[in-house]
Order: sequence, then structure tokens, then C-alpha cells
Amino acid sequence: MDAQTGRQIAMSAIHVFKHHAMATHWEIRIADEEQTYAAQAAQAAFALTDDLESKLSRFQANSEISHIAQLAPGETLQLTAPVLACLQFAEKMEAATNGAFSITAAALQTQPEKPRWSLEQFSIRCDAGKLEFDLGAIGKGFALDRMAERLREWSVEKFLLIAGGSSILAGAAPAETPGWSCGLGDDHSPQRFFLSNCSLSGSGLVVKGKHIFDPRTGQSAQRQNRAWALAETAAESDALSTACMVLADAEISKIVASEKSWLVFLEADGAEICFGGRPLPPRA
Amino acid sequence: MVTPNHSSESAGRELSRREFLGTTAVAGAGLLLTSCSPDSGKPVATAAEAAGKKLNVALIGCGAQGQVLLESLQVISSINLVACADIWDYNRKIVMGRMKDIGQPVKGYHDFEELLAGEKNLDAVVVATPDFWHAPVTNACLKAGLHVYCEKMMSNTIEGARSMVKTMRETGKLLQIGHQRRSNPRYLFALNKLVREAQICGRLTAAHAQWNRTVTNDLGFPKKTEIAPETLAKYGFKDMHQFRNWRWFKGLGKGPLSDLGAHQIDIFNWYFGGMPRSVMASGGTDYYKTHEWFDNAMVIYEFIQPDGGVARAFYQVQTTTSAGGGYFEMFMGDEGTIKMSENPNTCGLWREDRSTKSWDELAGKNFLRTSPTPQLAEADKVDVRETAPLIKYDIPVSFAKKIHQPHLENFFNAINGKAKLNCSGEEAFASEYVIHKAVEAVETGQKINITKEETEA
Repeated sequence: MDAQTGRQIAMSAIHVFKHHAMATHWEIRIADEEQTYAAQAAQAAFALTDDLESKLSRFQANSEISHIAQLAPGETLQLTAPVLACLQFAEKMEAATNGAFSITAAALQTQPEKPRWSLEQFSIRCDAGKLEFDLGAIGKGFALDRMAERLREWSVEKFLLIAGGSSILAGAAPAETPGWSCGLGDDHSPQRFFLSNCSLSGSGLVVKGKHIFDPRTGQSAQRQNRAWALAETAAESDALSTACMVLADAEISKIVASEKSWLVFLEADGAEICFGGRPLPPRA
Repeated sequence: MVTPNHSSESAGRELSRREFLGTTAVAGAGLLLTSCSPDSGKPVATAAEAAGKKLNVALIGCGAQGQVLLESLQVISSINLVACADIWDYNRKIVMGRMKDIGQPVKGYHDFEELLAGEKNLDAVVVATPDFWHAPVTNACLKAGLHVYCEKMMSNTIEGARSMVKTMRETGKLLQIGHQRRSNPRYLFALNKLVREAQICGRLTAAHAQWNRTVTNDLGFPKKTEIAPETLAKYGFKDMHQFRNWRWFKGLGKGPLSDLGAHQIDIFNWYFGGMPRSVMASGGTDYYKTHEWFDNAMVIYEFIQPDGGVARAFYQVQTTTSAGGGYFEMFMGDEGTIKMSENPNTCGLWREDRSTKSWDELAGKNFLRTSPTPQLAEADKVDVRETAPLIKYDIPVSFAKKIHQPHLENFFNAINGKAKLNCSGEEAFASEYVIHKAVEAVETGQKINITKEETEA
């Protein structure tokens, strides 16, 4: 139902494809495309996800992230382009969130100090400590962005990508719709938006319990309620929503004020408080 | 970077590479390192050929396997990747884009003949084309004076593979075949130290390997990237579907028994130290309606052991579910079992109680790694606590490289006169011959005897 016109929206045929990777479930929804072609395009996108997992997972002994964790101070490892890009993006998000997001948050549970490194030209150098990176709060978003690129290579524009239920990346809207209907929170959430060409990620403690640490203090996240972030890319929304779990409201307000493409929603007594200057997407 | 993980008095602790290489307090560390070095053989090429200079290398075939090899080629410091070739613009541009992304742009060519005509300063090529192009491309490159690293299978035919060995001999150039486990430090260590020196399996009686895969759609292609029909025909493909799924078509590839079995049956031959005397098999094109080669196969080889006994090796490649333990090769003896895989998490060692060898002593010598376990009580006492886990043993070798990297490095080191090839064309021919025979056994339903002479190119 279109919120403004009250008109029933006719949804076009949507093909749904599922996959397991990075210890969670993935889904690709493709609209207005021939089924076999959509399936082959989705398979190509999932293959990319598997490849990224083999490089980015700290649980795979052959991954580049595992190799990086073996570096001693002073040692250098040459990186493939996707890993370098992901680490560079993680650094950018760490700076943008004033350290509230960091891929070393978990490392602080086993090391007294934050490890230090330098991203050099196409390589990483360990400067101090063990580079035990955990890309759990950015890797899935980063993969969604690459999957979208792969689908666009296949001339597939109308898609919705879902990683583990916590991050989605919407491509162009299905025909005759204002976007993909996406809710904040549990199934059939009343808080819904039509999204297109943007990403939405959520973080919280309901599903996995206390698993988010404040990289600035090493303590568990203080926020008890959920947080959602909306951004242009899934890597941004993924990292930002995690950062919001350890940021105070005033800090969030200041951070999103500096990045006009970001919106943050915080759960509060059954409603959502919104931060950021980006116009709200159409409500569904 | 080879990093054996030690376990002597501090069982379970992993030493860093610096600790391993730098300390002399670790008994036999140097010998252990040698035993898992991919380049421990006597060199055969002349050192003058390329000593001190970077090798100029081209990649021929930019598809899925070519892109996997590219990730290793990108990080090997002894080479310059200078060119690539592929008849499909889409894949060629991916490779060129990735090289450009890391500041090392390469020149792109439509096919290997254009590449050979345009690149006059090459030292070597890496061939990752569809199997039926391996022999023509490899032979042309060897004759052009280049060393060749060619992906397995050498060819989709025995005759094609034999021609590659013949050209290798005639030209005197090096031909390495991409059975990359032959240079994997963990595989080398397990064979040299655990199977041969410590003989932890005792008498080997059986082996089992598998690579079962879940159902997948046939590969497609982005709409705007279709190759012109006349170009496909020129290079031996009926259409884009066949081009993208060549592994499943007769005359182009040889199906999963060849694609996947080539790696693992090669490990049977390598670890048993010779070729099997017979093969029997069953299989069929049972699942996919659009394929020509078997999507299911079960194979049994018989190997004669040095003591005259027989060991049987079972291999399966099935269209089934991705569950069931991944892909591995397992060697079973009367005293112990070794499970090998490129995935370190899948590897393992199991000891039979009847074994007379002390695996704790072997752990002390860094042959094994074991986790600390609660000490057993004295005979007249017992302490009751949580259920104790079984002692777990691991292979104490890890390496921070991509899985194809050591084999490619071995190839380049051989060119530079610093190593002997770990899988020359001759050696690969023998190993792959028995894979061709397994396919024949499925097709004929007959048990096939194999002589040593017929496995020689």
C-alpha cells in the first residue's frame, strides 16, 4: 500500500535465491528478469561472496585475514585488492565514527593494547601486537556492495540483497513500485520504508546477546535497544549500525551531522528516534 | 612463509616463524623445515638462465582458475606478470583490472598466438585454458622457448598429454603441471616425516578421498558479453553455454572425475609411491540433463606396497550435498590414519592403541602437535571431574600463503636454477594416466589392469 496515495501496489515477479556464507544466510531477490538468467546472475554473485569469505574470514585458516594475524611486528604481507579495499574502508569508518567502530574491538579482549599496522601500497605491515582483525561488523556489508557490482555487470539493476537479516542493500525498485518494502526490527514491523539504491543495517543484542564491544574501552556495548543505519553502501551502514551500539545519542548526532548521506534510527519505547539530515525514504 | 607449529614441552603452543627459524633450541628444526620445503630438490635448470632478474610471465586463460592463479602470481616477488590472453573480453578485463588495481598493469591479448607474437621478452607462461587447449598452447609455448606451468589435467586425451612431454623433452624447457598439493608444505611434511620417516600409519592398507559437490546451476554469462558465434566456433565451442560449461562436455574436458579427481588421485599415487596396478569404477550422468560427462563416480584402485601387500584406494566425486566432510584424502594403516586437505581445519591424525610408537615422543620432536590433556591418576587413585576429551593430534605445519603459491614458486625457482620441479610433465603424465583409465573403467564397466610401462610417456 502506498502511504501517500493509498493505492495498492502491484508487485512484479520477484525471483528469490538463497545461500549460506559467513556463518549466516544470504538472499538475493531479483525483479523483472527472466528466471534462468536471474538464477545465473545470482549464482555469480554468491560465488563472489564465497570468494570474499575465503579471504576475509578469521575462521578460515587459509584466509588473508588469518595470514595477517600471523604477522609478527615488522613483517609485511601483500594483499589482494578486495582485502586491501575492505581494510581501507574499515579505517575510514573507524575515523568517521571516532573509533566507535573498529575491526580490532575483539582483539582487545586478548591483548592489552590495540595492535597497530600500516596499510602500505598493496600490502599491510604489522607495527605492534597481533593483527587479530574481526570483520564481522563490516565484511557482510562489504560483500553486499561487491555483489551489487557483480549483478550490475550482468545488467541486473532491480534487486534486493540480504545478509543474515541484519544488512540489506536495495538496487533499483521493481517496476511500478516506489522501492523495496523494508521494516525496522522484527518480522512485520510497522515501521517500514520503501528503499531503493541504498543500504540499511541493524544491530542489537536480542539475537546474539552481548557480542559487541566498545573498541574505545574494551567494555560491552551499553545500548540495550536496537540501532539501524541507512547509507549509500552496505559497508557503511553495517559498520555505522554497530558503532551506534556503543555511541551515546549526542555522539551519534554529531557523527551523522558530518556525513549527509547517513541516517540513524534508535529504538526507544516502541518508536524510533531518527538522527541525520538525509531525507527519510518513503514510508511503506 | 613456512610456519611449523611446535609442541614439545609446551604442547599446543604455536611458535612464530621467527621463533622457529631463529632458535637452535628446537631439536631438528632445520631438518623439519627441509622436509616441508617445496624447493628441497636438486636444481636442474641453469642458474645463469635467470639468476638475479625477475622473470617475465604471461597468463594464458583468464577464467575462474586463471583468476585463482592470478592471486598467487600477484604476490610472488620474483616475477613480473606482463601480459594475459583470453578469447572472452569479460574475463580478460577482470584480470587486467585486478593488475591495474595493484599498480601493475598488464597487456591483454585475444589468444595465445597473438600473445606470443606480441611479447618477445617472456620467460614463462602460466596456462589455465580449458583442458582441450592445454596441449596446443603448451606445445606452442615450449617451442617458442618458454617454460610452461600448465594447469591439470594436462590434456583431455592421453595423446595430448604425451605430446606435451615429448615437446618438453625436445625443447629442454621446463613443464610444471598444476598439481599444487605437491608443493604444499603440509602435504610434504606429512609424506616425508609422518608417513615415511615416522611411519605413524604403520602398514598402509587403504586410502579414501572425496570431493562431493552440491547441485549448482549451469554457468551463465552477462548479456552484453556474449562472444560472437564465429569466434566460438573457431576455438572449438558450439555456443556460449558450452563455452561456460566446457568441463562437462566430451572433447573439451573430462568431467568432475578428471577435474577434481586429478588433484586427489594424484595424492594416492604420490603418497603410495607408485602407480596402481588396476582400477575399477562405477558412475554415470545421473543428475544433470544438459551434461555429457559423469556427475557421479566411485573408483577403486589397487596399489602394491613395498612389502608386497595390497592397499586399496577409494575415490568418490558425487553430485549430492555439500555436507559430509568437505574434500580430503585419508590414508589408513594398521597403526594410524592421516587425513589431508588443503583446508588445515579438515586435517587430522588418529592413533590406534596397538601402535608401538609413542606419539607423545613424536610430538616432542615436533612431528606432531597435541593439546594438553589432564594427567591420568596413579593406579591406586582416581579423580572424578568433567569428561576428558580424547587426545587430539594435528600436523604442526601452517603456511601463510595462498594454496597455489608454493607450486608456482617452485616452478619459478626451478627456472632460476634454485629448485627441482615438484610435478614435471613426465611425473604428471604417469599420475594422470591412471585418471584417464578410471574414466575408461566407468565407460566400459570393466576392471582395467595398468602396467608401469604404460604410465611412462
